[in-house]
Amino acid sequence: MIQVSNLRKEFLLTRQQKKELNTTENKALAVSDLSLSCQAGRIFSLLGPNGAGKTTTLRMLATLIEPSSGKIQINGIDAIAHPQQARMQIGFLTGSTGLYARLTPIEVIDYYADLYGVEKSIREQRKEELFTLLHMNDFLHKRIGKLSTGMKQKVSICRTMIHDPSVVIFDEPTSGLDVITAENIIKLIRSCKDQGKTVIFSSHIMSEVDLLCDDLAIIHKGELKFSGTMQDFKSQMQTPNLTEEFIRIVQA
Amino acid sequence: MIFRIFRKELLDTLRDRRTLMTMLVIPILIFPITLNVFVEVSKSFEESASAKTVKIGVVGDDQNHFIKQLKSIPDSLGPKKVLVFSDSTKLRGAIDSKKIELGLIVPKNEASLRAKEQTVQLTWLLDAAEVGRNERAQLYGSSLQAFADAERLNKLGLRSEQIKPLQNTTINCASDKKMIGQLAGGFLPYIFIAFGFIGCMYPAIDLFTGEKERGTLETLLTVPVSRWKILVGKMLVVVSSGMLAATCALLGLFISIEFLDLAANKELLDVIHSVLTPTFIISMFALLMPLVIFFAGVMIPIAIYAKSFKEAQSIITPLNIVMVLPAMIGFFPGIELNFTTAFIPVVNVVLATKELIGGTLSLGSFLSVFGVMFLLACVAISLSLRQFGKESNILN
Repeated sequence: MIQVSNLRKEFLLTRQQKKELNTTENKALAVSDLSLSCQAGRIFSLLGPNGAGKTTTLRMLATLIEPSSGKIQINGIDAIAHPQQARMQIGFLTGSTGLYARLTPIEVIDYYADLYGVEKSIREQRKEELFTLLHMNDFLHKRIGKLSTGMKQKVSICRTMIHDPSVVIFDEPTSGLDVITAENIIKLIRSCKDQGKTVIFSSHIMSEVDLLCDDLAIIHKGELKFSGTMQDFKSQMQTPNLTEEFIRIVQA
Repeated sequence: MIFRIFRKELLDTLRDRRTLMTMLVIPILIFPITLNVFVEVSKSFEESASAKTVKIGVVGDDQNHFIKQLKSIPDSLGPKKVLVFSDSTKLRGAIDSKKIELGLIVPKNEASLRAKEQTVQLTWLLDAAEVGRNERAQLYGSSLQAFADAERLNKLGLRSEQIKPLQNTTINCASDKKMIGQLAGGFLPYIFIAFGFIGCMYPAIDLFTGEKERGTLETLLTVPVSRWKILVGKMLVVVSSGMLAATCALLGLFISIEFLDLAANKELLDVIHSVLTPTFIISMFALLMPLVIFFAGVMIPIAIYAKSFKEAQSIITPLNIVMVLPAMIGFFPGIELNFTTAFIPVVNVVLATKELIGGTLSLGSFLSVFGVMFLLACVAISLSLRQFGKESNILN
């Protein structure tokens, strides 16, 4: 479970950034007083247009960057005070597929399993499960640099899940993938929910959000515009479909 | 955990062709290839220059005195053909148009000067930019000198010792090791400083800027491992690469001298063998290790700060000159390791290595240089750690 309260993040601006943004301010506000609650066994969707503060929020939840103020609790652990303990609970899949091109999938998975301290017997079983689920057995020993985008994304997901995290953060996991690979990943996200994991999911594809999410939050310019269940969202809709409603809320 | 990160980064680095080239292939091959090419080219130039028939134009030798003597010099000292010219202007023109190689101007009154037992001034004309010309002129000049000396002594009824009442002899008290240390000692540290730096460069950029650019750093920093451990694991690879490149360069140089017969001088080989003791090798690596850590510590914050591979390269490449230039101090005579120079990074290692080769490095000097470099390496590491902790540096 993730509990976020009054989360705020300001970034110091460099001289060049000030010029680009045409501002005299020394700081830029990326996230402003954000409070959320993501429950175990549910899929939470974080929505917002480009530059809304989604990635910054997800990076703070993954303890990659520290918030300027506010609180983050991951399964009861204070993620700001004890980031390493919190990281053991989290699997974070970044927006861009960051993998080592000169290594093979099996080498990358073993490396991350070691970094997460996964025991050898558990690791072998976990690898087998994930390789089968993601149909990875055919390219396990090929260099990652020679794999397709879909294959790379599968390796990234496998790397994210190898330590069996109870909280999984997916930042646009199906972006740029073919339909079959995207479908596999959606299945995996669903299976995470079935296993009682807390899933946070950010996407630009509203049909995916509709298909997967139990709860959602919409942020724009760092501020929370909506937070509630999917059911609440649909019942309060003033437009005929999700995309139009999303645009209406953001532009309001 | 540090060792696990080191193992992975090393595997990743060893699969990078560019790093392998700068770390292993170039350092090992550069000296055998360049020295071999240099020796072979200069040998062939020397051989062709000494085998070439040189045309000597002579002006003013009306009595054919010097022409006869020139012709009597054996061809084993260099084949030649003597031509007579009517005046010095034509002689100069023939040299300029490359019709002849050497010109000899004999004074008109040479016969009377010889008869009066006075000095005859011979003038040689040559194009010194051409290989071997100066050597030939000196060879023929000294032969004519020897003929003239013998002729004059004979005429005066003297032996050569009678006009040499005094002869000075100098005995060099410095050991061969010390001489090699002074003359060639600057070369060795220059090699390991240059290659140590180059060896660190690519892995430093690849493991920090490269990871940031490829988006793998973001993933790596979400694992439950302290950032300092990640940094140290990566830094160990950068340092190992620098050490390996420097070692390979020294190995390549050793192979060139030992097996490719590039150092024909037996005394030089004996000195090299006497220098290469286990104590020397251990001491040299003890100096090299903190130096390479210092290099890595200087490069890593830059690599962390840079937003792209190109940016990192554009900052680190000029730094190469700043770091390697002080290494040239070893080529200058008279600069010694003392209290001041021991505190100047790079320079202190160069001077200490020079003294190490010469066998004059005291334990105190060694420890002070090692201590200074160790301290600087620690400062460099802490600087790297500070940079690695900054959000703005680790995320693009």
